[in-house]
Amino acid sequence: MLERCLGLRRLRQIQRACRRGSLTFLCLFLTVVVLRGTIGAGKFGTPEQDLNEIRHLYAYRSRRVEPHRVLEEAQPETTTNDANNYATFDISKILVDEAASADEPKRDPNAPYTLGPKISDWDEQRGQWLKKNPDYPNFIGPNKPRVLLVTGSSPKPCENPVGDHYLLKSIKNKIDYCRLHGIEIFYNMALLDAEMAGFWAKLPLIRKLLLSHPEVEFLWWMDSDAMFTDMAFEVPWERYKDSNFVMHGWNEMVYDEKNWIGLNTGSFLLRNCQWSLDILDAWAPMGPKGKIRDEAGKILTRELKNRPVFEADDQSAMVYLLATGKEQWGDKVYLENHYYLHGYWGILVDRYEEMIENYHPGLGDHRWPLVTHFVGCKPCGKFGDYPVERCLKQMDRAYNFGDNQILQMYGFTHKSLASRRVKRVRNETSNPLDVKDELGLLHPAFKAIKLPTSS
Amino acid sequence: MGQENLSAHKRSSAANALPTTNGRARSAPRGRQIQKTFNNIKITILCGFVTILVLRGTIGVNLSSSDADAVNQSLIEETNRILAEIRSDSDPDDNDTPFSPNATAAFSLGPKISDWDQQRHQWLQQNPEYPNFVRGKARILLLTGSPPKPCDNPIGDHYLLKSIKNKIDYCRLHGIEIVYNLAHLDKELAGYWAKLPMIRRLMFSHPEVEWIWWMDSDAFFTDMVFELPLSKYDDYNLVLHGYPDLLFEQKSWIAVNTGSFLFRNCQWSLDLLDDWAPMGPKGPVREEAGKVLTANLKGRPAFEADDQSALIYLLLSKKEKWMDKVFLENSYYLHGYWAGLVDRYEEMVEKYHPGLGDERWPFVTHFVGCKPCGSYGDYPVERCLSSMERAFNFADNQVLKLYGFRHRGLLSPKIKRIRNETVTPLEYVDQFDIRRHSTVSSESKSQ
Repeated sequence: MLERCLGLRRLRQIQRACRRGSLTFLCLFLTVVVLRGTIGAGKFGTPEQDLNEIRHLYAYRSRRVEPHRVLEEAQPETTTNDANNYATFDISKILVDEAASADEPKRDPNAPYTLGPKISDWDEQRGQWLKKNPDYPNFIGPNKPRVLLVTGSSPKPCENPVGDHYLLKSIKNKIDYCRLHGIEIFYNMALLDAEMAGFWAKLPLIRKLLLSHPEVEFLWWMDSDAMFTDMAFEVPWERYKDSNFVMHGWNEMVYDEKNWIGLNTGSFLLRNCQWSLDILDAWAPMGPKGKIRDEAGKILTRELKNRPVFEADDQSAMVYLLATGKEQWGDKVYLENHYYLHGYWGILVDRYEEMIENYHPGLGDHRWPLVTHFVGCKPCGKFGDYPVERCLKQMDRAYNFGDNQILQMYGFTHKSLASRRVKRVRNETSNPLDVKDELGLLHPAFKAIKLPTSS
Repeated sequence: MGQENLSAHKRSSAANALPTTNGRARSAPRGRQIQKTFNNIKITILCGFVTILVLRGTIGVNLSSSDADAVNQSLIEETNRILAEIRSDSDPDDNDTPFSPNATAAFSLGPKISDWDQQRHQWLQQNPEYPNFVRGKARILLLTGSPPKPCDNPIGDHYLLKSIKNKIDYCRLHGIEIVYNLAHLDKELAGYWAKLPMIRRLMFSHPEVEWIWWMDSDAFFTDMVFELPLSKYDDYNLVLHGYPDLLFEQKSWIAVNTGSFLFRNCQWSLDLLDDWAPMGPKGPVREEAGKVLTANLKGRPAFEADDQSALIYLLLSKKEKWMDKVFLENSYYLHGYWAGLVDRYEEMVEKYHPGLGDERWPFVTHFVGCKPCGSYGDYPVERCLSSMERAFNFADNQVLKLYGFRHRGLLSPKIKRIRNETVTPLEYVDQFDIRRHSTVSSESKSQ
């Protein structure tokens, strides 16, 4: 019919034109699609954005979109004062990592590593000093030595945004325990020796503190990820009157099995004496960063049971030192396991409610642990050995468990072990001094001042 | 039949015609066929190329690592969700009793006590092993604190940590105990008012404590040697940093500073706390009080009532009742406003020495307005944080001196040795230990 209207030739021409036109359109369409896929088309978006939108629309509507929107709404309207906005600030802008200047004494790299010049008469030096300074006795009560609790963390902010908050709670927990038990605290934020970085940093620090504080009888090292969970337990100091080094561990696991977790160096007591300086000197050689530490790590993995392959750490080195040097060191080392001087958190944190029901503070052992130590959690870093949720939630619970014992002195307690809120459990009265706190922690006997004997 | 013949004819003629064309076309169609094949291949390749481009634009090319990526992505999402939960204000126990400000009943910190001095005196006599004077010095308890949840931004928590380390160092050197409060004891008195119920509670629980020293979390000790001249305050019960002319003549809202002050543990203090608290309760009470304070104090911006303005208003309106036992200290920086101090630290190190406590070597550097725990401060972030870092390191240098170290620079986290190790470390201990240069000790007893 068209043929008759337009004529065959015309028809053919039109058909050809149509064919060409459709080809052109097809090519044009493909070009646009390809361009949109590669460089985008402004507000017409890209295929990826399409995909995202579809995803948002159907799958994650309730979870992802709303909080995002809420966050955006919560941003204040003013965009002028971004210099005052902490959220957009980068800390590396202000910390200045100054290089070592030329006049700083450098250690000879060929000489074997030492923590410092060898001292051989520390007991005499210290004894003389204590005699000359009766105002700074090393025993602040009968059976109560002067103790310095040492802990620390990095001077730079944590990589994990909530890491510093957990460090803060941890130090508050230690401040509370130490206030109740008359213990002083030293919070270290300085790296004394760059070669002994990481877990080895405590060695030069401990030596320095022992030598600078002769009045301190025991130095108590405690990791930043360990928390006190029994505020009423007083360490049985008389038990250690013949020992110089107290760690949580088992004799069989260290001396017989050579198990790398036979003891724990996250919480230990070290007496201030010549023997301790000597063991620190014997402990240190595996520490220096680099080849020495790596090689030492291989030796330790080979010699100790169940140790994974990684560079030498202070705990494995101590196990090795004791296992191979039992005659030299063993008689002054006390491996304590009757209470949790260090308590592995994995077996403790789920039982807190059961403990509250069945037991009471002051026991320090599996019934009510003195210390809950979150080994492997690494809340300050980005990656730990355990899931983040379990670690952080359990650290909250352990903190609240310990904090409840402090708050009960003042008549409060946390609403639950997971809650930050507190509630009153004892009403205020007009005779506050007649009310005694249940655990007797406000004025405990171990904190009482020695009364001068009347002569 | 005819038609068939015709069509057969046509066919045959076509057939006849074909051989001729075939004959011609068979020699050339090879070339043409090859050309056609090439054309086809070209088009195929072109189409294939275009298809790949389009697919890449839509789906992407990361086919191999999709699994690991997906797992990683979900881990990161989960972690972020947990962190967000921790940093939020929500609490698992939020469903019981929502807070409703009670505007009708008059607020009180607790039951009224009128004989605290006698009660305390009796207790001290009955408990001689807990005297209120230890080695001739009055027992001081330093109280500080911060909100229970993580700061709005992570750097805030880091500086809270540095701040408490700074306070731990000072208090260890001077025999002061610390209480770090992370709980809101009274829901109505939240925020800067939270210190009032805590001070009252501590006074009752620790009758052996003579002075309670409140210090803000954004205040740093910068003179580790200076000790409070407590004998100056024998006849006073409240020690504030402030200026009498700013307070009485100008009625300025910053005439005194409640970021660092001392409260004696006595009946007078309890009464003052009771008089101070009414402007505090959250809600309409605090808002209305804020308006009154803005109207009466010079330079006060409009916002809800804060404890500092309320105290100033109280001291002004009831001057005869309270002022005779209030000491306005300005001979040393019990509170030192940071802006005028932080740039001069190097100059101070050059010209002066610790132990002065005043503008030559400030006792306390207080970072008012910086608010590192919140999202926005009153000053540029870089200035605030670098100044806080400098103040912290300035103080830390005084602590590290005993150990033979100092920071490489006031902004550097690294330290350098300033004294070689020796085999007789005790001579340096005698020389540099700050505690040994404090006040001479005498017996401990209750006074």
